[in-house]
Amino acid sequence: MRQGTTRAFVGALLLISAAPSLAQTAAGSRTRAHVEFLASDQLEGREAGSSGERLAADYLATQLTRMGARPLPGRTDMFLPFEFTAGSRDGGSRLTIAGRTFTARTEVQALSFSDDADVTGPAVFAGYGLVVPESQNVAYDSYATLDVTDKIVVVLRYFPEDADEKTRAILARYSDLRYKAMAARQRGARALLVVTGPRSPNAGQVVPMTFDTALAGSGIPAASVSGAVADALFASGKPLRDAQQELDSGNPHMAGFALSGVTITLRTSVVRERHTARNVVAYLPATAPVSAASKPWIVVGAHYDHLGRGDRGNSLASKEEAGGIHYGADDNASGTAAVLAIAGTLAESPQPRRRHLLVAFWSAEEIGLIGSNAFATKPPVPADQIAAYFNFDMVGRMQNNRLVVQATGTSPAWARLLERVNVAAGFDLVTQADPYQPTDVTNFHAAGIASLAFFTGSHSDYHKPSDTATKINYEDLDRVVAMAATLVRAVGNGDEPPVFTKVDQPATRGTIAGVRVTTGTIPDYATEVKGLLLAGVVAGGPADQAGLTKGDVIVEIADKTIANIYDYTYALELLRANQPVRVVYTRNGERRDTELTPIARQ
Amino acid sequence: MTSLVQGALAAAVLGSAAAGTQAPVTSGVERESDVLSRVRRLTIEGRRAGEGYWSPDGQRLVFQSEREPGNPFYQIYALDLASGDTVRISPGYGKTTCSFFRPGSDQILFASTHHDPRSKTLQQEETEFRASGKERRYAWDYDPEFEIYAFSEKSGQYTRLTRARGYDAEGSYSPDGQWIVFSSTRDAYSRALTPAEQLQLEVDPSYFAEIYLMRADGSDERRLTRVPGYDGGPFFSPDGTRVVWRRFDEKGLIADVWTMELDGSDARQVTDFGAMSWAPFIHPSGEYLLFASNKLGFENFELFMVDVEGRKEPVRITYSDGFDGLPVPSPDGRRIAWTSSRGGGREGQIFLADWNHERALAALRAAPGVRPR
Repeated sequence: MRQGTTRAFVGALLLISAAPSLAQTAAGSRTRAHVEFLASDQLEGREAGSSGERLAADYLATQLTRMGARPLPGRTDMFLPFEFTAGSRDGGSRLTIAGRTFTARTEVQALSFSDDADVTGPAVFAGYGLVVPESQNVAYDSYATLDVTDKIVVVLRYFPEDADEKTRAILARYSDLRYKAMAARQRGARALLVVTGPRSPNAGQVVPMTFDTALAGSGIPAASVSGAVADALFASGKPLRDAQQELDSGNPHMAGFALSGVTITLRTSVVRERHTARNVVAYLPATAPVSAASKPWIVVGAHYDHLGRGDRGNSLASKEEAGGIHYGADDNASGTAAVLAIAGTLAESPQPRRRHLLVAFWSAEEIGLIGSNAFATKPPVPADQIAAYFNFDMVGRMQNNRLVVQATGTSPAWARLLERVNVAAGFDLVTQADPYQPTDVTNFHAAGIASLAFFTGSHSDYHKPSDTATKINYEDLDRVVAMAATLVRAVGNGDEPPVFTKVDQPATRGTIAGVRVTTGTIPDYATEVKGLLLAGVVAGGPADQAGLTKGDVIVEIADKTIANIYDYTYALELLRANQPVRVVYTRNGERRDTELTPIARQ
Repeated sequence: MTSLVQGALAAAVLGSAAAGTQAPVTSGVERESDVLSRVRRLTIEGRRAGEGYWSPDGQRLVFQSEREPGNPFYQIYALDLASGDTVRISPGYGKTTCSFFRPGSDQILFASTHHDPRSKTLQQEETEFRASGKERRYAWDYDPEFEIYAFSEKSGQYTRLTRARGYDAEGSYSPDGQWIVFSSTRDAYSRALTPAEQLQLEVDPSYFAEIYLMRADGSDERRLTRVPGYDGGPFFSPDGTRVVWRRFDEKGLIADVWTMELDGSDARQVTDFGAMSWAPFIHPSGEYLLFASNKLGFENFELFMVDVEGRKEPVRITYSDGFDGLPVPSPDGRRIAWTSSRGGGREGQIFLADWNHERALAALRAAPGVRPR
């Protein structure tokens, strides 16, 4: 499971203390040996492009060959390689003002999307560097009265601290640093410098180099600088704190100004690591005459990569665990094992199947769904020949018999099929129409393919070294395999392929960029209720201190009603660190309220 | 005893029934697991589904669901619990509700309006209304066209069992398959109404609903209740000697569970929450009945159980937001099917769970007694 949009944010807060009850039925499991191998020390967390990932791919190809699967038509092996950017680091950025040169990474650091360049120019302060499109009905243009052509633009990170809530809600959307860099570039700026203002969270700190999978820079040198550098920039005129205070009222007419006499020489350097990873793809030919008119392929898939030792920025390891192997037993040795077992079941089955079963294992999912995207954008089998895609990501930690099936909105056929196969399987099935999930299914929906994604819910070991094979609930994982195999077989032999329905993306989605506080809540994605159901709270975090606990449903925060996770993320954009807000929630059906004080997110 | 105190006691009872476990704060799921286990959603297709009733052999469930293409109203379906196959029982057009397997036969009864020539027009109008994005509060329209039919699975024939003008529905068979109890508003259409009654009919026709008994072929109809207010949802006791049903007050706000003899005599009130307590069904053991009540919040219906005489306080079964109602135990008494919105959204679907009869009995024994009424 990839950290993405809302889940990335919430994922960063995951921490549950309850250990799952484990089914100890080693004998006869169809999945256990696969999980144990994939999540072993030898594979070192299967980071895309690593030797552990290559070992895993070889293992998968061996297993596929053993069950009788073949390379795709026209290919001699089961590996589909693709290139990706594995990460970026600063390659020696530096900055000189008035003869003083800063080189430490704590003083100046390139933004991960920066171009490499050496530039010199006069400095100009452009406030928050925000430009809001006219369509938003909020007039805000930090560049309205400012000529920044051939200048080095200095802007504040985030958005005005004291603006009214409605304005903040809109400004938050345009405060992403990529967006600010684009605005500066379009106005002819030579470079962009970002300062975290003294009145903002993380005051005076440089912006961490976030993981960025872009293959190249964004067309402008861009770096963040420390409070000390900012002091040097603002030494001769209005202090930065005063300038920020004026801007924080949200008054867009507070013009920027030239930092008189300040000339900056800036070097930016970003080192992007290019790597090759491999999808593993094979197929089981149809066992009955294929009807050419009705999409002769179905696809089952799971990503097999994980986080390695967690050094690409998406680990949630505690300080004590940091640097350890992230075994990824649930994420996603479980889904990988499930796909192997489903394919194995169908390979052994004497029942006829009129569609070819394409079996796929994706790499580089954890760093942006890159493997499945490479497949879906240039499919080796035409997308319009694929009747359906079934995704398995994190299916090994079932609790309370609950199985989540996502992306059911991609075909009207799914409800009846799921109902039928689940009568025998007996899961407490939760269906979610939304295919915009932080897993590979997103790419297949985008390619116009009716899809389903299986998921057994998140847990406290998510993206941590503690996601180990001993914690997998193999008994229920095998039940998921049996149920999914029945479903895949039904679609594989069905007369008509499921009709594809495009699902629109929910309009009011919060964005990770705008959220600056944490509340220490752990949403329960596996249950759909009106409101935000908590799977737990971070011990000692704001929610914990407010008395919230597992099972509570947040229905209102800071006078905003919460119907779902998107509402919640959106509401979080508007909260401020250390400023208490009222939270209304239900516990066992009873409405209660409490006061919660968010803290700053790093 | 105030309802608040009752609730606290019911919770305490459930806690004590789990031998040796001490859980200071338990989530709803954990509390439910006292008598319910393997809770799971059964129906998935369609906007909503409900009123699932078991076949006498426990192998099938017949229910109503809004899933028929082109028809926004409920139709009746039978689901095979071994294969997962579902077949439609009702004709596919018109409105239907409240189905029931006839013991010892191939018949299934349900109420339907499909003989109404306006059926397809009404379907069209409802489809357009829903497409307009408007919403109305849940309301059952007590269409006087509803008549009770028996469907033969062997012949595929529908036999109309009721003829009287008025809503005839909510029917169920006796254990020997020879009798049907049902609810009907025919009284409002068979005599001259006073102006006040006429107004009442326009505002809330269910006021006129009474319980009736007839033979399985529709003959020998007898009226069993004569009290103003909605009497409905009748079922036979497992031994076939009594009827359990729910009775609303005249205003239609408070409902309680009652039982009576087959001739309408010896009517006894079982529940007294001062809330909407309805949808009773007696467990096959004959010892207690399950019902739904909103005593904990107007829109928060939960399942309860109570001994058939109502000597002890009812015991709460479900702990889940939204709707839990229409509980029906399986013929062997080891499972229950009910309608719940716990799967998300406002609309209900049918859920199944294993039922722990021994724990249910223990919780009922431990329940406090009620004051004599």
